[in-house]
Amino acid sequence: MASVSNSRKRKATAAAPVPKDEQQLSASALEMLSEDEQDEEPESDDGDYEEFPEIDIASDTDDEEDEDVDEEEEDYSSDASGSDTQLPIFPKAKVVISDITGEPKKIYPEIEPDYDSDSSTEDDPNRVGNVPMHWYDDMPHIGYDINGRKVLRPLVGDELDKFLKTQEDPSAWMSALDKNTQTEKQLSPEELDLIRRLYQGENPDAGYDPYEPTVEWFTGKGKEEIMPLSAAPEPKRRWIPSKWEKQKVMKIVRAIRQGRIVPSKPKTSSTESRFYAIWSDPTPSLNPPPLPAPKPRLPTHAESYNPPEEYLPTEEERKEWEGTDKEDRERDFLPQKYSALRLVPAYDQFIQQRFGRQLDLYLAPRIQRTKLRIDPNSLIPKLPSPNSLKPFPTYKCLSFSHGASRLRCISASPDGAWVISASEDGTISLWEVIVGREVKKWSASGKVGSVSWCPNQESYYFIVGLEGRLEFFIPPNLPPSLYTFTKKFLAPATLPPQPAAPSPLKWTSSSDPEKPLLVIANLSGLVKQISWHPRGDYFATVSSDGGVWIHQVTKRHSQSPFKKIKGTVQMVLFHPKKPNFFVATQTYVRLYNLSEQKLIKTLMPGIKWISSMSVHPSGEHIIVGGYDRKLCWFDLELSDKPYKILRYHARAIRSLHFHPTYPLFASSSDDGTVQIFHARIYHDLMTDPLIVPLKILRGHTVKDGLGVLQVEWVPRQPWLLSAGADGKVDLWCS
Amino acid sequence: MARLKQKGKAGAAKAYVTRSAAVKKLQISLADFRRLCILKGIFPREPRHRKKANKGSSVPTTFYYAKDIAYLAHEPVLRKLREHKAFAKKLSRAIGRGEWSTAKSLDDHKPTYRLDHIIKERYPTFIDAVRDIDDALCMIFLFANLPATSRVSTALIDNCTRLAAEWQLYISHSHSLRKVFLSIKGVYYQAEVMGQTVTWLVPYQFTQNVPADVDVRVMLTFLELYQTLLGFVFFKLYTDAGLVYPPPLDSKKDDAAAGVGAFSLQQVTEPHISGAKRNLEPKVSAKDVRQTIKTISSEVAGDEQTDNLAEEDEDMTAEEDFVPQPSKSNPEEAAVLSTFKSLSAQEGSAIANLFTPYTFWLSRETSRPLFEFVVRAFGGKIGWPASSGSGSPFEETDGSITHVIIDRPFVERSSETQEERERRLQRKYIQPQWVIDCINAGKILLEDNYAQGKPLPPHLSPFGNYEGAYDPTAAGLGDDVQMSEEESDEEEKEVEADEDGPGSRLAALVADATEDPDALRVAELTAEAAGIDHGAFEREVKKTKKAKGKPTPVPVDTEEDMNKMLMSSKKRKLYERMKYGQRKKDTERTKLEQRRKELDGVKGRRKKESVVHSQT
Repeated sequence: MASVSNSRKRKATAAAPVPKDEQQLSASALEMLSEDEQDEEPESDDGDYEEFPEIDIASDTDDEEDEDVDEEEEDYSSDASGSDTQLPIFPKAKVVISDITGEPKKIYPEIEPDYDSDSSTEDDPNRVGNVPMHWYDDMPHIGYDINGRKVLRPLVGDELDKFLKTQEDPSAWMSALDKNTQTEKQLSPEELDLIRRLYQGENPDAGYDPYEPTVEWFTGKGKEEIMPLSAAPEPKRRWIPSKWEKQKVMKIVRAIRQGRIVPSKPKTSSTESRFYAIWSDPTPSLNPPPLPAPKPRLPTHAESYNPPEEYLPTEEERKEWEGTDKEDRERDFLPQKYSALRLVPAYDQFIQQRFGRQLDLYLAPRIQRTKLRIDPNSLIPKLPSPNSLKPFPTYKCLSFSHGASRLRCISASPDGAWVISASEDGTISLWEVIVGREVKKWSASGKVGSVSWCPNQESYYFIVGLEGRLEFFIPPNLPPSLYTFTKKFLAPATLPPQPAAPSPLKWTSSSDPEKPLLVIANLSGLVKQISWHPRGDYFATVSSDGGVWIHQVTKRHSQSPFKKIKGTVQMVLFHPKKPNFFVATQTYVRLYNLSEQKLIKTLMPGIKWISSMSVHPSGEHIIVGGYDRKLCWFDLELSDKPYKILRYHARAIRSLHFHPTYPLFASSSDDGTVQIFHARIYHDLMTDPLIVPLKILRGHTVKDGLGVLQVEWVPRQPWLLSAGADGKVDLWCS
Repeated sequence: MARLKQKGKAGAAKAYVTRSAAVKKLQISLADFRRLCILKGIFPREPRHRKKANKGSSVPTTFYYAKDIAYLAHEPVLRKLREHKAFAKKLSRAIGRGEWSTAKSLDDHKPTYRLDHIIKERYPTFIDAVRDIDDALCMIFLFANLPATSRVSTALIDNCTRLAAEWQLYISHSHSLRKVFLSIKGVYYQAEVMGQTVTWLVPYQFTQNVPADVDVRVMLTFLELYQTLLGFVFFKLYTDAGLVYPPPLDSKKDDAAAGVGAFSLQQVTEPHISGAKRNLEPKVSAKDVRQTIKTISSEVAGDEQTDNLAEEDEDMTAEEDFVPQPSKSNPEEAAVLSTFKSLSAQEGSAIANLFTPYTFWLSRETSRPLFEFVVRAFGGKIGWPASSGSGSPFEETDGSITHVIIDRPFVERSSETQEERERRLQRKYIQPQWVIDCINAGKILLEDNYAQGKPLPPHLSPFGNYEGAYDPTAAGLGDDVQMSEEESDEEEKEVEADEDGPGSRLAALVADATEDPDALRVAELTAEAAGIDHGAFEREVKKTKKAKGKPTPVPVDTEEDMNKMLMSSKKRKLYERMKYGQRKKDTERTKLEQRRKELDGVKGRRKKESVVHSQT
């Protein structure tokens, strides 16, 4: 305070020639000051020596001593303005009349390049400036001196020398590498102190005092302003109460009086007033009450602190429980047993489980489920007992072995007495159904694709489908009349007239008893299916390359019904009663009318790859089986979509067959089983067909992933023939 | 022509909104949305077709009913939440500027919301509310045991403690506790209030800390709702019982750790108008009953009898009013009380007064809150040492103590005074499980099995299990098998004895007649005619049935297996699922049964060994 007042005083003293005693001034501070200032004001206008930085110096909080020194310096400068040496910052210029121009000019004294000057006066030998010194790493010199001469790199010893130097020299720790000169330079104590300060996060300036007292320049005692700044009279509003304020206050007062505002309302902290009879008036709500949250499961015996011992987990169970994730665990606790209640610890998952419950309450979607309380067995359809649906094949009657090769085709004679079976290696056997005695054996030239017995009762022969040809055989030991009739039928003396459009297939007869009676040649590919029209005059063949031919035996004529077929044909069938023709491609079954030569409908079984189909003797129903294990039952009058889809075989379905007279059908599969179904069709359109599974026949062995390759019913008997990949034909009897 | 249907304008696309859409519509933060959902009880829904509901996208999202969200938009609490947001901004601004008085006045007028309307909306009737207080009680009891932290305030903990005490007081006053189960998770209680079973779980008395993986904000929001709900429910329960709500708290007792005993139940001197209305009906009936009793008894014994009755009534009220306080009950109050009692007595009064004749003393290592509550809820009297808290109605030396609940191993005391010894012999020392097992059994069990230091019998859950589950109480399954074998042996012997007599004829008779009831009747008559006694006939029938029963199911099974082929895939899947569940249950049961058998075998062997040892 004193110093502040002093500096102020000094301004005054500068104006007044006689310096006053400071003590005196401070004693009569107030009045004197005012006087001084009044004196000062006019004079300060023309006083150009008064310097502005005075305040700046004060605001730069320095020690009082420094301040005093500054003041003294200023004093000197103001007093003795002529002395140049005393003024380092502002060297005075000499005014000299120029010789050349004749004008006066200012000449400044030569600048002494010492520490106070701007330019560094340090005698730096290296004058390269602030450049990365690694530029000179490969050079013998480290820069250039003021005269442009190279400064050679000082001799630097190796690491060992350096180390020894540090050991010898006790002051080595306070030297640092000067990059510019590439030499070790001793640090001065000031520099060390500066480093220490920086290191400790202090102000690097040692003289800086952060806690120096504030200097009150304009406030405080003795500095109060007395005289007004402006002589204007005080406005009225300063002392007249505000009208608007009054209005506002009165508004609040009125509100308080009326009770609209309660000043300092007591806080309602007590719980007493909070609750009341909320359910006293039964107001019917418009909305239905919200779905209550399901209650958590109640604890079972296992959760007891002292459960029966059988509930305690074994060591493996404990490990398994600990090994599984929290979400995957069947129950969220491990049963534990404590011998006394005092030993039961706190449940460590308590809060987590409470929290989990709350997450369930507000995050889990709720669905109202009707819980089915039914016996699961009641879901199984009630069907008539198989015992009441007899006869159907139940046991293996006999087995006819064909050697090791696969049996792909069998056919029973229309009177049910004979069976023709052909294996893949080309042996064709004719044997008796009842006893299983082989009567005759042929060996075909190649692979046999199919065999089929003519359904016509008057003639008695069968066809064998081979690679590119069909061969007609007459079984031996026929009654002579039948034999001659058949022979005449197949190889007539007078050939029927050639049709207008001759087919590429060639029909040739031969009289050699060892050779086939009739051969149709020039077919393409292996004939894999022969399908007879029920009347026994027409038959259709499907080749392995998908070619379909319809042959007429009486006219010895073959024709291809389709110019082009979409997809590869799997199987063809004649409608038993109408001139219709079923063609099964890989995914569809198409029904054509042969007489009108047009497509009637396309059945979509939804099977990926159709393997087989069979038509019910009524012609109104058809079953289609696929390699994807599905069996589809179509009601032709109902829809293009299956009436029923069954999937009961474990592997692909290979073959299906409806019994011509009994209400039975059989399916065979690669799983080695044959399944017998009862399939009854009612004549009134309202009743659905009745399908009852009757029996699973097991007996064939699965070989190379192939099971039972074909099934065929023995006509007139509820007996079933099945040919398997194990080279056996089984006869199943009722 | 009908108007063209636009996509996303009807059906599931309109009925559901995703959560983000809901938040956007309501213009609130996700946290506020969560808070609203919790308070209003709005939960996500599962649309039948997620893709249809989400405009063709199958991204996993949560869906809400669009109408739920529309209702939320008009929620008063939502408005308050918005106001609170503004308030928070103002307050932080004031604090940032250092305007303390403004901040204080702002804080004084902090917007607060009430949940009364939500309670009424979510629970239109009182029964609805009572049905749904399970979770609320669990939370209240949990927080009553938690330590106060920076996130969980002391006031909140206090309020929870208070609510928990109020509930316990009400339950023990109304004797509506039914089942108790000591599990490893805590103590499960089940009470029957207003015809609803209320189950709640109380953790064991240990200090718990809220784990880091639990979002406390969610729990506190729930707690906010639950506190309000329980407040209203308790108010109704108390006023219906003719009690003052909230029960006054004696702070001196509370400071001395009296627990529940710090609250005192007070009768309402001027019954509420609404309460009176409610009580009107049963009151009249109770009076009628008493009057009829009076008339009957007066015919028999005159005036003395009636006096007795009144006295009894008063005694009962005193008993019920278990908090030791001078009861200045006037007859009116007694009448009100008796009506409630008569109401509660209708259901399970025998169990409710299970412990009435007994007086318990708690040893200091047992949990006082648990047993104080349980014993009182079943009409017993209980005392405890001062170390368990103040407020024990009697001292340890009290002569009326019949049972001591003790949970430490038995130690023979050498220095025992005569008095102490006598006292020890008078009382029964039982382990805590005895009390709980008695309650669950509904009768007083033999104390010997639960005597101090004895290995306890297993403690079973009173809540039962699903039907067909393994039942540990069924006396050894192995025994059953043996029994039946023995029986059959006997039968066979008898039959053998009969063999040469009429037995063979009988067997032949019965063999072909068991299937058809008519044929059986005929066979019975012929047997009678043949002079075979009825018992022998019955036995034969049973035997043949047993013999026949075994082979027949095999073909039936295969037939059913075959019929399964013709099931529709929907039904087949349902069937498979049901069968899967059944199989799982069966394996669990058989596993437990097998383990039981093994354990029994080990035990039997040990017993035998010990017998052998003792013999040698």
